[in-house]
Amino acid sequence: MGYEGVRMFPSTSLSLGAEARSTPLDDLENVVALYQPRVFRFLLATLRDRDAAETLTQETFLRAWSARASFREDCSLATWLIRIALNLARDHTRTGRFRFWKRVSASAVDVADVAAFVPTRDGSAEAQLIAQQQVAGIWESVARLSSRQRSIFLLRFMEEMEIPEIATVTGLPLGTVKSHLYRALAAIRAQHNTHGATPRNPTPRSAARRDATTKETQ
Amino acid sequence: MTPQLRTEELAGQPGGGSASPGENHLTGEQFGELMAGTTEAVGGELALAEAHLQACEQCAAELASLREAITLFREASSAYANEELRRRPRWILPERRSYSRSLMPAYWVAAAAMFLTALFPLQVLRRHNAHPQATAVVASSTPASTAQSDEALLEDVNSEISASVPTSMQALADPSDDASTASISTSDSTSNQRKD
Repeated sequence: MGYEGVRMFPSTSLSLGAEARSTPLDDLENVVALYQPRVFRFLLATLRDRDAAETLTQETFLRAWSARASFREDCSLATWLIRIALNLARDHTRTGRFRFWKRVSASAVDVADVAAFVPTRDGSAEAQLIAQQQVAGIWESVARLSSRQRSIFLLRFMEEMEIPEIATVTGLPLGTVKSHLYRALAAIRAQHNTHGATPRNPTPRSAARRDATTKETQ
Repeated sequence: MTPQLRTEELAGQPGGGSASPGENHLTGEQFGELMAGTTEAVGGELALAEAHLQACEQCAAELASLREAITLFREASSAYANEELRRRPRWILPERRSYSRSLMPAYWVAAAAMFLTALFPLQVLRRHNAHPQATAVVASSTPASTAQSDEALLEDVNSEISASVPTSMQALADPSDDASTASISTSDSTSNQRKD
């Protein structure tokens, strides 16, 4: 599903830019450095598959580069990139192949892996455990949302986009965006109230991974 | 639109200490507006919701708890994604080619030179092809005369074939004529001899 080895854009694509007008995407290296983490994060939370997220992240920048002449700067570059990523993710999840691979893929994201990255604010182990349990609960609740509700929820609360910006990305009217967002929040709120107090132990693998990462960063 | 939360639905939830039976809490839409921070209803619904939050410890605690959980979710997801991205190989992008405007005329001159260079052999070839055309006219006329002579020859052959006796065999066609001619000539010679 994903790529192995070093990723590379086709070198011929860059040579096409001589006749085009200047766009922010001309400096592709800088654009990738700035927006790749954001696009990848959104796709990872949407698809919950690491390889698929990276594949579509690369595809996002490739499509953006190919269509850079059509970027009129009506919206920010980040909004434009996320819109491309969302369309790619939508097309990707429509296929039955995606649903099959989602079940069997080795690169599917484990909720415990994500919960293991909860930032440490309180020194107590209990508070950390509760925080991990809350993150796992939200992660699972988001997974149960419809694809549209999930996208809008992630755009608002993960990418911290404003409602008009989300409307631009999704191509939906403002009222529809708000309606989907409120429904998503209602579902997550219900799940949070029901299961929020139930502690769940992180898997040993997740805890070990988080500890290793903490040591690396230190 | 999500249904309005009722007191009994909130019973047993964190922060439910100030709820009293029959008291209305935030509706789903109000909760969503507060969570999402939508600003369109500031003068109306949102102001009411915020006023309710001031008075209702239960709704305030629930809102704070959900906000905290979502914040943790965002931070953990971001950290996880960054870590995942860091472990993956970096993309190698080709170096950006800078197209300086001062170099653009040079590109055009080079392109024009290449065009002319490609055009020159074509012109030479065209001139070279002019003579073969004239020769071709002559060559094309020659086969025409040849064709005429061929037809005449064929007509001759046909007339020869269609003739009952070929010209070369004409002398043998009627032996009686030759005999009489011969006898005439013989008699003539005989008579001449007698006269002699």
